[in-house]
Amino acid sequence: MVWASQHGEPQQWAWTGGIDEWRLVDISDKQVRIGAAVTLAQAVRFRELRSLISAVIDGAAVVGSVQLRNQATLVGNVCTASPGGDTLPGLYVHDAMVEVVNAAGSRRSVKISEFLCAPGKTNLAPGELVTGLTLCGLAPHEGSTFHRFTQRNALDLAIASVAARVRFESDGQTVAQASLALGAVGPTVLDVADAAALLVGHALEPSRLRQCAALAAESCRPITDHRASQDYRRQLVQTLTMDVVAAAAARARGSIAMTL
Amino acid sequence: MKTRTCLRVNGTQYEVPPSFSGRRLLDYLRSALGLVGTKEGCGEGDCGACTVLVDGTPMCSCLLLTGVLDGREVTTIEGLPEAFLSQFAAICTEYGAVQCGYCTPGIAVMAAWLRDGGNDMNDEPVSKLFEGNLCRCTGYQQLIEALTALS
Repeated sequence: MVWASQHGEPQQWAWTGGIDEWRLVDISDKQVRIGAAVTLAQAVRFRELRSLISAVIDGAAVVGSVQLRNQATLVGNVCTASPGGDTLPGLYVHDAMVEVVNAAGSRRSVKISEFLCAPGKTNLAPGELVTGLTLCGLAPHEGSTFHRFTQRNALDLAIASVAARVRFESDGQTVAQASLALGAVGPTVLDVADAAALLVGHALEPSRLRQCAALAAESCRPITDHRASQDYRRQLVQTLTMDVVAAAAARARGSIAMTL
Repeated sequence: MKTRTCLRVNGTQYEVPPSFSGRRLLDYLRSALGLVGTKEGCGEGDCGACTVLVDGTPMCSCLLLTGVLDGREVTTIEGLPEAFLSQFAAICTEYGAVQCGYCTPGIAVMAAWLRDGGNDMNDEPVSKLFEGNLCRCTGYQQLIEALTALS
Protein backbone atom coordinates (compact mmCIF):
# COMPACT_ATOMS: atom_id res chain seq x y z
CA MET A 1 0.00 0.00 0.00
CA VAL A 2 2.77 2.41 0.96
CA TRP A 3 4.75 1.40 -2.11
CA ALA A 4 1.64 1.76 -4.28
CA SER A 5 0.79 5.23 -2.99
CA GLN A 6 4.33 6.37 -3.66
CA HIS A 7 4.34 4.94 -7.19
CA GLY A 8 0.96 6.20 -8.39
CA GLU A 9 -2.40 4.52 -8.43
CA PRO A 10 -2.42 0.76 -9.12
CA GLN A 11 -3.84 -0.11 -12.54
CA GLN A 12 -4.87 -3.60 -11.52
CA TRP A 13 -5.36 -5.14 -8.13
CA ALA A 14 -7.07 -8.09 -6.51
CA TRP A 15 -8.35 -8.38 -2.95
CA THR A 16 -7.50 -11.72 -1.40
CA GLY A 17 -8.64 -10.85 2.11
CA GLY A 18 -12.16 -12.12 1.40
CA ILE A 19 -11.22 -15.68 0.35
CA ASP A 20 -12.92 -17.92 2.93
CA GLU A 21 -10.24 -20.62 2.92
CA TRP A 22 -7.59 -18.00 3.62
CA ARG A 23 -9.42 -16.64 6.65
CA LEU A 24 -9.40 -19.92 8.56
CA VAL A 25 -7.37 -21.22 11.48
CA ASP A 26 -7.43 -25.04 11.59
CA ILE A 27 -6.18 -27.04 14.53
CA SER A 28 -5.95 -30.80 14.23
CA ASP A 29 -4.04 -32.60 16.94
CA LYS A 30 -0.85 -30.52 17.33
CA GLN A 31 -0.85 -29.27 13.75
CA VAL A 32 -1.92 -25.66 13.22
CA ARG A 33 -2.84 -24.18 9.84
CA ILE A 34 -3.21 -20.42 9.53
CA GLY A 35 -4.67 -18.95 6.33
CA ALA A 36 -3.01 -16.05 4.53
CA ALA A 37 -5.81 -13.57 5.37
CA VAL A 38 -5.70 -14.15 9.14
CA THR A 39 -4.66 -10.89 10.78
CA LEU A 40 -2.16 -10.64 13.63
CA ALA A 41 -4.95 -9.38 15.93
CA GLN A 42 -7.10 -12.41 15.10
CA ALA A 43 -4.18 -14.76 15.80
CA VAL A 44 -3.41 -13.06 19.12
CA ARG A 45 -7.06 -13.23 20.25
CA PHE A 46 -7.31 -16.95 19.40
CA ARG A 47 -6.77 -18.46 22.86
CA GLU A 48 -5.81 -21.96 21.71
CA LEU A 49 -2.99 -20.53 19.60
CA ARG A 50 -1.41 -18.95 22.68
CA SER A 51 -0.80 -22.35 24.21
CA LEU A 52 0.00 -24.16 20.94
CA ILE A 53 2.36 -21.70 19.22
CA SER A 54 3.27 -19.37 22.10
CA ALA A 55 6.46 -17.97 20.56
CA VAL A 56 4.65 -16.97 17.36
CA ILE A 57 1.88 -15.24 19.31
CA ASP A 58 4.44 -13.42 21.52
CA GLY A 59 5.83 -11.96 18.28
CA ALA A 60 2.44 -11.26 16.67
CA ALA A 61 1.38 -9.27 19.76
CA VAL A 62 4.22 -6.75 19.40
CA VAL A 63 4.20 -6.04 15.66
CA GLY A 64 3.44 -2.36 14.94
CA SER A 65 0.40 -1.11 16.84
CA VAL A 66 -3.24 -1.93 17.61
CA GLN A 67 -4.35 -0.44 14.27
CA LEU A 68 -1.67 -2.23 12.26
CA ARG A 69 -2.33 -5.61 13.87
CA ASN A 70 -5.99 -5.25 12.85
CA GLN A 71 -4.92 -4.96 9.21
CA ALA A 72 -1.64 -6.84 8.90
CA THR A 73 -1.49 -10.61 8.48
CA LEU A 74 0.89 -13.26 9.77
CA VAL A 75 1.62 -14.32 6.19
CA GLY A 76 2.29 -10.67 5.33
CA ASN A 77 4.93 -10.55 8.06
CA VAL A 78 6.53 -13.64 6.49
CA CYS A 79 6.43 -12.29 2.91
CA THR A 80 7.98 -8.96 3.98
CA ALA A 81 11.02 -11.11 4.81
CA SER A 82 12.51 -8.54 7.16
CA PRO A 83 15.49 -9.97 9.09
CA GLY A 84 13.85 -8.53 12.21
CA GLY A 85 10.25 -9.66 11.53
CA ASP A 86 8.77 -10.26 14.98
CA THR A 87 6.85 -13.44 14.16
CA LEU A 88 9.69 -15.09 12.24
CA PRO A 89 11.91 -16.58 15.00
CA GLY A 90 8.77 -18.13 16.53
CA LEU A 91 7.78 -19.57 13.15
CA TYR A 92 11.26 -21.15 12.89
CA VAL A 93 11.03 -22.92 16.25
CA HIS A 94 7.52 -24.09 15.34
CA ASP A 95 8.84 -25.62 12.08
CA ALA A 96 6.59 -23.52 9.86
CA MET A 97 5.90 -24.73 6.33
CA VAL A 98 4.84 -22.07 3.84
CA GLU A 99 2.06 -23.14 1.44
CA VAL A 100 2.48 -21.73 -2.05
CA VAL A 101 0.19 -21.92 -5.09
CA ASN A 102 0.89 -20.75 -8.64
CA ALA A 103 -1.37 -19.38 -11.36
CA ALA A 104 -1.82 -22.88 -12.85
CA GLY A 105 -3.10 -24.08 -9.46
CA SER A 106 -0.20 -26.36 -8.56
CA ARG A 107 0.82 -26.25 -4.91
CA ARG A 108 4.09 -26.62 -3.08
CA SER A 109 5.12 -26.44 0.54
CA VAL A 110 8.41 -24.84 1.58
CA LYS A 111 10.26 -24.80 4.91
CA ILE A 112 10.32 -21.26 6.30
CA SER A 113 14.13 -21.32 6.40
CA GLU A 114 14.17 -22.01 2.65
CA PHE A 115 11.35 -19.58 1.91
CA LEU A 116 13.22 -16.59 3.39
CA CYS A 117 16.31 -15.98 1.25
CA ALA A 118 17.64 -12.51 2.08
CA PRO A 119 16.38 -9.18 3.47
CA GLY A 120 13.13 -8.51 1.58
CA LYS A 121 13.60 -11.60 -0.62
CA THR A 122 11.58 -14.81 -0.57
CA ASN A 123 11.78 -17.80 -2.90
CA LEU A 124 8.39 -17.01 -4.47
CA ALA A 125 8.48 -17.19 -8.25
CA PRO A 126 6.47 -14.78 -10.44
CA GLY A 127 2.82 -15.84 -10.45
CA GLU A 128 3.01 -17.54 -7.07
CA LEU A 129 1.04 -16.66 -3.92
CA VAL A 130 1.27 -17.79 -0.31
CA THR A 131 -2.04 -19.32 0.83
CA GLY A 132 -1.14 -20.11 4.43
CA LEU A 133 1.25 -21.58 6.97
CA THR A 134 1.35 -24.95 8.68
CA LEU A 135 2.93 -25.06 12.12
CA CYS A 136 3.94 -27.71 14.58
CA GLY A 137 2.23 -26.93 17.89
CA LEU A 138 3.54 -27.63 21.38
CA ALA A 139 3.33 -31.10 22.91
CA PRO A 140 2.90 -31.80 26.65
CA HIS A 141 6.01 -30.85 28.70
CA GLU A 142 6.90 -28.32 26.04
CA GLY A 143 6.98 -24.50 25.95
CA SER A 144 8.07 -21.75 23.56
CA THR A 145 8.76 -18.04 23.99
CA PHE A 146 9.86 -15.05 21.91
CA HIS A 147 11.56 -11.95 23.32
CA ARG A 148 12.85 -8.91 21.49
CA PHE A 149 14.75 -5.82 22.46
CA THR A 150 13.73 -2.40 21.14
CA GLN A 151 14.60 1.17 22.10
CA ARG A 152 10.94 2.21 22.24
CA ASN A 153 8.07 0.16 23.62
CA ALA A 154 5.91 0.47 20.52
CA LEU A 155 6.17 0.92 16.74
CA ASP A 156 9.82 -0.03 16.83
CA LEU A 157 11.88 -2.65 15.09
CA ALA A 158 13.87 -5.21 17.05
CA ILE A 159 17.57 -4.59 17.62
CA ALA A 160 17.79 -8.30 18.33
CA SER A 161 15.24 -11.00 19.06
CA VAL A 162 15.30 -14.66 20.09
CA ALA A 163 12.74 -17.48 20.12
CA ALA A 164 13.24 -20.71 22.05
CA ARG A 165 11.32 -23.95 22.26
CA VAL A 166 12.08 -26.43 25.04
CA ARG A 167 10.62 -29.88 25.73
CA PHE A 168 11.35 -31.76 28.95
CA GLU A 169 11.43 -35.49 29.56
CA SER A 170 8.55 -36.70 31.73
CA ASP A 171 10.79 -36.08 34.80
CA GLY A 172 10.32 -32.34 34.14
CA GLN A 173 14.07 -31.76 34.56
CA THR A 174 15.99 -33.19 31.64
CA VAL A 175 15.72 -31.35 28.35
CA ALA A 176 14.51 -33.77 25.65
CA GLN A 177 14.46 -31.35 22.73
CA ALA A 178 15.34 -27.69 22.17
CA SER A 179 15.43 -25.21 19.33
CA LEU A 180 16.56 -21.60 19.09
CA ALA A 181 16.15 -18.97 16.39
CA LEU A 182 17.66 -15.48 16.29
CA GLY A 183 16.13 -12.41 14.62
CA ALA A 184 17.66 -9.13 13.40
CA VAL A 185 21.22 -10.44 13.72
CA GLY A 186 21.73 -11.85 10.22
CA PRO A 187 20.38 -11.47 6.67
CA THR A 188 17.50 -13.78 7.60
CA VAL A 189 16.49 -15.45 10.87
CA LEU A 190 19.25 -17.76 12.08
CA ASP A 191 18.48 -21.26 13.30
CA VAL A 192 21.19 -21.94 15.88
CA ALA A 193 20.75 -25.68 16.25
CA ASP A 194 24.25 -26.23 17.68
CA ALA A 195 23.59 -23.89 20.59
CA ALA A 196 20.20 -25.49 21.27
CA ALA A 197 21.76 -28.98 21.13
CA LEU A 198 23.94 -28.08 24.13
CA LEU A 199 20.79 -28.12 26.28
CA VAL A 200 19.58 -31.58 25.26
CA GLY A 201 20.07 -34.43 27.70
CA HIS A 202 20.82 -32.13 30.65
CA ALA A 203 18.98 -30.21 33.32
CA LEU A 204 18.81 -26.44 32.73
CA GLU A 205 21.62 -25.45 35.09
CA PRO A 206 22.87 -21.86 34.90
CA SER A 207 26.29 -22.93 33.60
CA ARG A 208 24.77 -24.89 30.72
CA LEU A 209 22.39 -22.05 29.91
CA ARG A 210 25.37 -19.65 29.79
CA GLN A 211 27.25 -22.01 27.48
CA CYS A 212 24.27 -22.20 25.14
CA ALA A 213 23.80 -18.42 25.13
CA ALA A 214 27.51 -17.88 24.45
CA LEU A 215 27.42 -20.19 21.44
CA ALA A 216 24.25 -18.48 20.13
CA ALA A 217 26.00 -15.10 20.40
CA GLU A 218 29.06 -16.50 18.66
CA SER A 219 26.96 -17.96 15.83
CA CYS A 220 25.07 -14.78 14.95
CA ARG A 221 26.08 -12.43 12.16
CA PRO A 222 24.89 -8.95 13.17
CA ILE A 223 25.58 -5.70 11.36
CA THR A 224 26.23 -2.21 12.72
CA ASP A 225 23.56 0.32 11.77
CA HIS A 226 21.70 3.33 13.20
CA ARG A 227 19.90 1.08 15.70
CA ALA A 228 22.87 -0.62 17.32
CA SER A 229 26.42 -1.79 16.82
CA GLN A 230 27.45 -5.30 15.90
CA ASP A 231 29.02 -5.84 19.28
CA TYR A 232 25.97 -4.57 21.20
CA ARG A 233 23.69 -6.87 19.21
CA ARG A 234 25.93 -9.85 19.95
CA GLN A 235 25.79 -9.13 23.69
CA LEU A 236 22.02 -8.72 23.45
CA VAL A 237 21.70 -12.15 21.84
CA GLN A 238 23.50 -13.66 24.80
CA THR A 239 21.23 -11.98 27.36
CA LEU A 240 18.03 -12.58 25.38
CA THR A 241 18.89 -16.26 24.87
CA MET A 242 19.33 -16.79 28.63
CA ASP A 243 15.99 -15.07 29.31
CA VAL A 244 14.04 -16.71 26.55
CA VAL A 245 15.18 -20.28 27.27
CA ALA A 246 14.30 -19.81 30.93
CA ALA A 247 10.88 -18.40 29.97
CA ALA A 248 10.18 -21.25 27.52
CA ALA A 249 11.19 -23.75 30.23
CA ALA A 250 8.84 -22.09 32.71
CA ARG A 251 6.00 -22.43 30.19
CA ALA A 252 6.95 -26.07 29.60
CA ARG A 253 6.78 -26.69 33.35
CA GLY A 254 3.40 -24.93 33.37
CA SER A 255 2.20 -27.37 30.77
CA ILE A 256 3.52 -30.22 32.92
CA ALA A 257 1.45 -28.93 35.82
CA MET A 258 -1.57 -28.70 33.55
CA THR A 259 -1.27 -32.24 32.21
CA LEU A 260 -0.81 -33.86 35.64
CA MET B 1 -14.90 -8.96 -12.38
CA LYS B 2 -16.49 -6.81 -9.72
CA THR B 3 -16.04 -3.10 -10.25
CA ARG B 4 -18.65 -1.45 -8.02
CA THR B 5 -17.85 -0.65 -4.41
CA CYS B 6 -20.60 0.38 -2.01
CA LEU B 7 -19.85 1.25 1.59
CA ARG B 8 -21.39 3.12 4.48
CA VAL B 9 -19.60 6.09 5.98
CA ASN B 10 -20.96 7.46 9.25
CA GLY B 11 -24.30 5.81 8.55
CA THR B 12 -24.75 7.01 4.97
CA GLN B 13 -24.51 4.64 2.02
CA TYR B 14 -22.15 5.66 -0.82
CA GLU B 15 -21.13 4.18 -4.14
CA VAL B 16 -17.42 4.77 -4.69
CA PRO B 17 -16.65 6.41 -8.07
CA PRO B 18 -14.35 4.11 -10.12
CA SER B 19 -11.66 6.79 -10.00
CA PHE B 20 -11.36 6.28 -6.23
CA SER B 21 -11.55 2.49 -5.98
CA GLY B 22 -7.80 2.14 -6.48
CA ARG B 23 -6.98 4.96 -4.06
CA ARG B 24 -6.59 4.97 -0.30
CA LEU B 25 -9.61 5.20 1.97
CA LEU B 26 -7.97 8.35 3.40
CA ASP B 27 -8.08 10.03 -0.05
CA TYR B 28 -11.67 8.95 -0.62
CA LEU B 29 -12.81 10.34 2.74
CA ARG B 30 -11.01 13.65 2.39
CA SER B 31 -11.25 14.37 -1.35
CA ALA B 32 -14.48 12.66 -2.42
CA LEU B 33 -16.59 13.04 0.73
CA GLY B 34 -14.98 16.17 2.18
CA LEU B 35 -14.53 14.48 5.56
CA VAL B 36 -11.30 16.26 6.37
CA GLY B 37 -11.33 15.45 10.09
CA THR B 38 -9.28 12.35 9.26
CA LYS B 39 -5.68 13.57 8.91
CA GLU B 40 -2.75 12.30 6.93
CA GLY B 41 0.43 12.19 9.00
CA CYS B 42 3.08 9.73 7.89
CA GLY B 43 1.07 7.89 5.22
CA GLU B 44 2.82 4.68 6.28
CA GLY B 45 0.69 3.40 9.15
CA ASP B 46 3.02 4.62 11.89
CA CYS B 47 1.40 7.75 13.31
CA GLY B 48 -2.30 6.85 13.63
CA ALA B 49 -3.57 10.34 12.69
CA CYS B 50 -5.71 8.73 9.96
CA THR B 51 -7.33 6.14 12.27
CA VAL B 52 -10.94 5.26 11.41
CA LEU B 53 -13.19 2.40 12.47
CA VAL B 54 -13.97 -0.26 9.86
CA ASP B 55 -16.88 -2.38 11.09
CA GLY B 56 -16.02 -1.05 14.55
CA THR B 57 -12.31 -1.97 14.40
CA PRO B 58 -9.61 0.74 14.38
CA MET B 59 -7.44 0.78 11.27
CA CYS B 60 -5.15 3.22 9.46
CA SER B 61 -7.07 4.64 6.50
CA CYS B 62 -3.78 5.37 4.72
CA LEU B 63 -3.20 1.61 4.40
CA LEU B 64 -6.62 0.63 3.06
CA LEU B 65 -7.56 0.50 -0.60
CA THR B 66 -11.08 1.96 -0.95
CA GLY B 67 -12.10 -0.71 -3.46
CA VAL B 68 -11.70 -3.55 -0.96
CA LEU B 69 -14.23 -2.07 1.44
CA ASP B 70 -17.39 -3.14 -0.39
CA GLY B 71 -20.18 -3.69 2.13
CA ARG B 72 -18.16 -2.37 5.06
CA GLU B 73 -19.12 0.34 7.57
CA VAL B 74 -16.61 3.15 8.13
CA THR B 75 -16.77 5.57 11.08
CA THR B 76 -14.66 8.72 11.08
CA ILE B 77 -14.27 11.43 13.71
CA GLU B 78 -17.27 13.19 12.08
CA GLY B 79 -19.43 10.14 12.83
CA LEU B 80 -18.72 9.93 16.57
CA PRO B 81 -21.64 10.87 18.85
CA GLU B 82 -21.80 14.54 19.82
CA ALA B 83 -22.07 13.67 23.53
CA PHE B 84 -18.85 11.65 23.40
CA LEU B 85 -16.98 14.38 21.53
CA SER B 86 -18.02 17.00 24.09
CA GLN B 87 -16.87 14.81 26.95
CA PHE B 88 -13.62 14.00 25.14
CA ALA B 89 -12.96 17.69 24.44
CA ALA B 90 -13.66 18.64 28.07
CA ILE B 91 -11.27 16.04 29.44
CA CYS B 92 -8.54 16.90 26.93
CA THR B 93 -8.84 20.55 27.94
CA GLU B 94 -8.75 19.72 31.64
CA TYR B 95 -5.57 17.64 31.32
CA GLY B 96 -3.82 19.74 28.65
CA ALA B 97 -3.88 16.77 26.30
CA VAL B 98 -4.18 18.82 23.09
CA GLN B 99 -1.73 21.28 21.63
CA CYS B 100 -1.59 21.47 17.83
CA GLY B 101 -4.49 19.04 17.53
CA TYR B 102 -3.29 17.15 14.45
CA CYS B 103 -3.20 13.75 16.17
CA THR B 104 -6.43 14.39 18.09
CA PRO B 105 -9.01 12.98 15.60
CA GLY B 106 -7.16 9.64 15.48
CA ILE B 107 -6.95 9.56 19.26
CA ALA B 108 -10.64 10.43 19.61
CA VAL B 109 -11.56 7.52 17.29
CA MET B 110 -9.41 5.14 19.37
CA ALA B 111 -10.95 6.46 22.60
CA ALA B 112 -14.47 5.94 21.20
CA TRP B 113 -13.55 2.38 20.24
CA LEU B 114 -12.30 1.69 23.77
CA ARG B 115 -15.37 3.27 25.36
CA ASP B 116 -17.58 0.98 23.25
CA GLY B 117 -15.77 -2.04 24.66
CA GLY B 118 -13.82 -2.71 21.46
CA ASN B 119 -10.81 -3.89 23.39
CA ASP B 120 -11.22 -7.40 24.73
CA MET B 121 -7.62 -7.58 26.00
CA ASN B 122 -8.66 -5.45 28.95
CA ASP B 123 -5.51 -6.04 30.98
CA GLU B 124 -3.60 -3.75 28.62
CA PRO B 125 -2.60 -0.34 30.03
CA VAL B 126 -3.77 2.81 28.23
CA SER B 127 -0.22 3.56 27.09
CA LYS B 128 -0.10 0.22 25.25
CA LEU B 129 -3.52 0.64 23.64
CA PHE B 130 -2.53 4.03 22.23
CA GLU B 131 0.87 2.80 21.00
CA GLY B 132 -0.25 3.47 17.43
CA ASN B 133 -1.05 7.17 17.94
CA LEU B 134 1.95 9.46 17.87
CA CYS B 135 1.77 12.93 19.42
CA ARG B 136 4.70 15.31 18.99
CA CYS B 137 3.38 18.04 21.31
CA THR B 138 2.18 16.77 24.64
CA GLY B 139 4.92 14.32 25.54
CA TYR B 140 2.19 11.72 26.14
CA GLN B 141 1.85 12.07 29.91
CA GLN B 142 -1.12 14.47 29.65
CA LEU B 143 -2.70 12.26 27.01
CA ILE B 144 -2.34 9.12 29.10
CA GLU B 145 -3.84 10.90 32.12
CA ALA B 146 -6.76 12.24 30.06
CA LEU B 147 -7.47 8.90 28.42
CA THR B 148 -7.27 7.10 31.75
CA ALA B 149 -9.76 9.58 33.20
CA LEU B 150 -12.04 9.03 30.22
CA SER B 151 -12.08 5.23 30.50
